[in-house]
This record gives sequence, C-alpha cells and structure tokens, in this order.
Amino acid sequence: MLTRKELIRYGLAAAVLAPWGRALGGTGNYFLQAGTDPADTDSGGPRHEGEIVLGVSAAFSGPSRGLGTELYRGASAYFSRINENGGINGRRIALKMYDDGYQPDPCVENTMKLMLEDQVFLLFGYVGTPTVTRVLPLLKKFQDENIFMFFPFTGAQPQRQPPYGDFAFNLRASYAQETAGLVNNFVSIGKERVAVFYQADAYGRSGWAGVRAALGPHGLRIAGEATYSRGANYTGTMRRQVEILKASSPDAVICIGAYAACAAFARDAVDFGLEVPIANLSFVGSENMLKLLTEGREDSEAYTRLLVNSQVVPSYEDLSLPAVREYRDLLDQYDPQVPPELIKEEYAPFPYSFGSLEGFLNAKLLAEIIRRLEGEADRARLEQAVFSVKDFDLGVGERVSFGPNRRQGLQTVYYTVVEDGRFVPLHDWQAKFA
Amino acid sequence: MKIQKLFQRTRFGIFAIFGGIVLSTSALCLYTVDTQLSAEYEINSKNIAKTVADSSVDILLNRDMATLQSLVDQFVEIQGIRYIYITSETGEYLAHTFVPGIPGEILESDHRSTEPVERELPGLGNFVEVGSPILAGVAGTVHVGMDLDVVSLKITRAIGQQVYLVSIILVIGVLASIWLVNLAAKPLGELLAYAVELARDHDEESASHREVLNRDDEVGHLARLFLYVARNGPKPETLEAAPQS
Repeated sequence: MLTRKELIRYGLAAAVLAPWGRALGGTGNYFLQAGTDPADTDSGGPRHEGEIVLGVSAAFSGPSRGLGTELYRGASAYFSRINENGGINGRRIALKMYDDGYQPDPCVENTMKLMLEDQVFLLFGYVGTPTVTRVLPLLKKFQDENIFMFFPFTGAQPQRQPPYGDFAFNLRASYAQETAGLVNNFVSIGKERVAVFYQADAYGRSGWAGVRAALGPHGLRIAGEATYSRGANYTGTMRRQVEILKASSPDAVICIGAYAACAAFARDAVDFGLEVPIANLSFVGSENMLKLLTEGREDSEAYTRLLVNSQVVPSYEDLSLPAVREYRDLLDQYDPQVPPELIKEEYAPFPYSFGSLEGFLNAKLLAEIIRRLEGEADRARLEQAVFSVKDFDLGVGERVSFGPNRRQGLQTVYYTVVEDGRFVPLHDWQAKFA
Repeated sequence: MKIQKLFQRTRFGIFAIFGGIVLSTSALCLYTVDTQLSAEYEINSKNIAKTVADSSVDILLNRDMATLQSLVDQFVEIQGIRYIYITSETGEYLAHTFVPGIPGEILESDHRSTEPVERELPGLGNFVEVGSPILAGVAGTVHVGMDLDVVSLKITRAIGQQVYLVSIILVIGVLASIWLVNLAAKPLGELLAYAVELARDHDEESASHREVLNRDDEVGHLARLFLYVARNGPKPETLEAAPQS
C-alpha cells in the first residue's frame, strides 16, 4: 500500500517528467502524465487525452535485461509506425515503462503504480513467469477496473487457466506446448532418458511440469533434475548441476532458464563431459545465449553443436513471411532503444532477434484489438474486442483467433539449431541428433 | 590501611553475591531464551507448513505447479526458513527450493512424516524439519526446514545482550560496594588513628581538637569515650553509661 507521502512524491516526479514525456513522444516510448482524472474512470478506463497508455514492467537490468530490451524494441518499432501515421482512432500509443529486473517484488510494486497512479489503459509486454504469477492476483483484485494483461513474455500456465486465466491474453504458445514438442521429438529418435535443468522458481517449475506431463503418456519419468538460482551469471559455474545430471545418464537435457545460466550450463556440460543434446525454451533468449557461448571462442562449435532451441515465433530470417519483412523494415527504420532513464547496465541489442520479433507481433495484434474498440477507448469493451479477432492474419502463416475459451493466439512451436553461428530451423531431428 | 581488612570479607561477600546473581540469571536466561526461541521457531515453521498445506490444496488439484512454486518461494523468504518442499502422496517432489538439487538425505527420508526431525545437510547446514499433511495427507505433504544456525545465532545474540547487561550491573554494583565500604572505613580509620595518638602521646589537649570528636555518630561517641577514659581512667559505671552503638 502506498503511503500519502509516496503518492505525493510520485505525483511531483510525474509532474516534473511530463514535459520530457511529450518531448520524446515521436518514438512511442515516453514518460507521460496526460491529464488523467482518476475520478473519470468508471471501470471503462482512464481518459488520457489523445493517448492510449500501456503499462510495462519488464527486465531492463540484471542478467536477463536482454529479454526485456529485445521484446521492447520489437513492440516499440511497430508502435512508432502507428504513431507516425496518426495513432489508432486518432489516439497515439504511449508506453509507461518500469524496470523490475526480472524480480517479483519490484514487478508487483511497478504494477501497483501503473494501475493506481499512472492509470494505464492495460498492461503489456511483461517479462517472466515469477513476475507475472505474482501480478495476476492484483488483476483479480482489481477486476472491476477491467485491467487486462496482454501478451506477457512467458508460456507458463497460471495466466492460461483458472483462477487468473480470465485476466490475461496470450499470443505465444505455452511452455507446456514447447516442452511437449521437445519431449516428443526426443522420444521419437530414441532419446527417452530426459533430464531437466531448471531455474528454481515458478518459471522453472512450469517447464519442469511441462516435461513431466509430456513424458507421462510415453510411460516415462524425468531421468534427473538440477536447479539454479534466478539471476545466475554466465561467469558462475554450473559444474555441480552438470555432475548431478550426468549421474542420471540422460539422453538429452531440457533447460528451463534464462540465457546467462543456460549458456553457463551448456558450456560446463561440454567441459565436464555431458555430451548430449541440450534443449532450451523460447524464453531463454537464443541470440544472447549464442553470443555468450561463441564470443571470443575459436572452438565455439563444440559448445553449440548439440543445442536445440524451441521458439514460439518463426525465424526472423524467413523473408517469405510478410510479418518478418515488415518487422525487419521497421526495426531497420526506427532502431528503438530503451529510454536512458531505464538503462543501468550496458546492453548491445541485436539487429534482429526472436525476442524482438515476438514483441513486434505482440504490438501488431494489440494495435488491431485497440482499433476494433472504435470510438472511445473503453476498457469495458476490451475483452469483447479481443474476442472479435477471428482468423486474423498476423503474417506469420498461422491465423489468430480468440474467444472466451481461447485466450492464446498462436499454437505453433518452432525448433532451431545453431549453424554457421546463427539459429536456423531444424527439420530433421533424426539426422541431427540420433 | 589496616582497617580495610575488616571489610575484606564484606567485599568478597558482595562480589560473591553479585557473581552468583549474574551466573544464575545468565543460566536462567540461556535456558529460557533457548527453549522459548527454539519452540517459537518450531511453532512458526509448523504454522507455515500448515499455511502452505492449506493453500496448496486447490493449486495441487488444478495441477498448477508454477503457482505452487511461487507460493513456496514467497514463504522461504521468511527469516529462519531455509527450505520448503512439497511431496505428492506417492512421494514425488512437486515443488522445492533446493539448489542445485534435492539433498540425498531428504530423498531417502519418509516423505509422509510430519514429526519434527533434525537434519544435517552437507553444504547447507543444520535444520529442524517439520511437516504438515495436505488434505489429510491424501494430496501430499509440505515440509519446512528451519535453519538451526540462524536460530542459534539469534539465541546467542539474545543471551549475549542479557549477559552484557547483567555484567555491567555487576561491575557497577561491585564498584559501588567498594565505594560504600571505603566510606564506612574512613571514619573508623580516623578513630583508630585518634585512639593510637591518644594512647601514645597522652596529649589530651591536642587530641581533644580532633575532628573525630565532633562526629555525631558511633565513631564520634567512641572517640569521646576514648578521650573520657584517657582523662578519667576507666570507670565501670561510666563505661556502662556510654552510648550504645
């Protein structure tokens, strides 16, 4: 609960920052306080004059800052185009952003600020399972305000099922789908002893549960498991984890983690003789992981040849897809950068990445939903607008539909392996890993 | 000064009494803090285990492992609680907080047990583990590990503070007693000196000016009595009439 003193302090800070927000308005990523009257909400949402404000809390600092940054870049590129063309129904899209460092408590605090003080229209572009799972009860608490979370960067189940499933909309496939795909492919090539390396939190547990559930129908169980603490760096050792998993003699390891820890594990697995396929989920941040494993190494192929990463968006190299062409054009044109106020540590973004492509697709679909609101942007009609999306062509080859019992847009999982220093689609599991 | 010999036993007695108080108070404090704090931690752990168990029922029935883990992670942030793990009714580990893995001693233990048990986990420390059944045990069991090292540290700190306070009181008490004894010894010393002077010199005039004769206490009475005896010689009836101390 915010104290009166804190409210006054934030209010003063917002008043000071407001002119800066308007000055930076062209990029679509700015701080703003657009004349909101809190009394003027009536559960239809706040009235930010001429703008629709989206609330973002994501990792822009810490070992997982690449995830929040890449997701933001893709979304920002699309919103920049929208704003340049006059916005949606005459209203510009603005992002009110906070950094949570991929930590649950700051994420909850940020969300409270976004909902109560900033009076954002909706929540968008959240990153991570441990963060999102802690925010979901807030959405239920304020359900009369009709605040929804759109397209979080997590494939976990809590925002896909009761009791919180009604407060979120997902675009990406779930971790359950990703892990099921990986398990089924491994089992199909005779790799039945599947071990799990996972982050010791809700995200890791979600992936662990997915692997467990996928092995069940094959009459199999998880062969071995090892964990690491959230926030682990690449410089840290994962030797103990490798030893634990090696003792279970796995045929393959599925990692449920972020890029720094998973890269450290892949490195130590090779160094300590665990030479089996190592799979990672889409959340890992494939480009950042690859960069850590290859940068400054002449023998990098040894560390990447057994990697297989699942993705929930198609390859950004697939120029046959209209959405990919548009994404690359807009990213080239705007090259969005995280606002300097949020930057605590240096991060060099990638020209293109799976993360920024996902952010782009999230923004594109959200823009379409807001467009369907027509007239006054009203939160109370938001859910209805989402449900009106049927067979929508997002430009990725899979049409998107939503409904009361369908709150996830895309279902496809893609698999990629490293070739010539980049992730490319995997077509033949047998040839690659058998 | 010879006269202080008279109070050496008194000083020793005071010191012994204060020392005894300090030792007995410390021992009582040690026992009380140790038993009560340990019991309190154990009760808290049991309550946490029960709270997790009660909260887990719906989550487990919904098979929502991410939320279950999130719940466990929140409770393990409480000071003194080092680990939590939840086992299913078949003994499968559904959620836990161990890194890099579940210790062998726990893997080999009875997953249904809810009785407090002390554990020494290599690389982690010493713990007291308590358990609570989920849905009367048919849905699994919650186990909470309380860090004994943290508890010991807290107990040591609490006892240290108590002993520190009592020691300060002891030092102040002994110093005060020495000062008070000296205060009492000083006039006696003067009386002794006066008596010696009176006996040695028989100089009644100079002796009669001694300040000790002006004192309005037992020492003054004795001094005046010595002077009277020196002047008049001892008379039993006079001695009998001397003021009683």
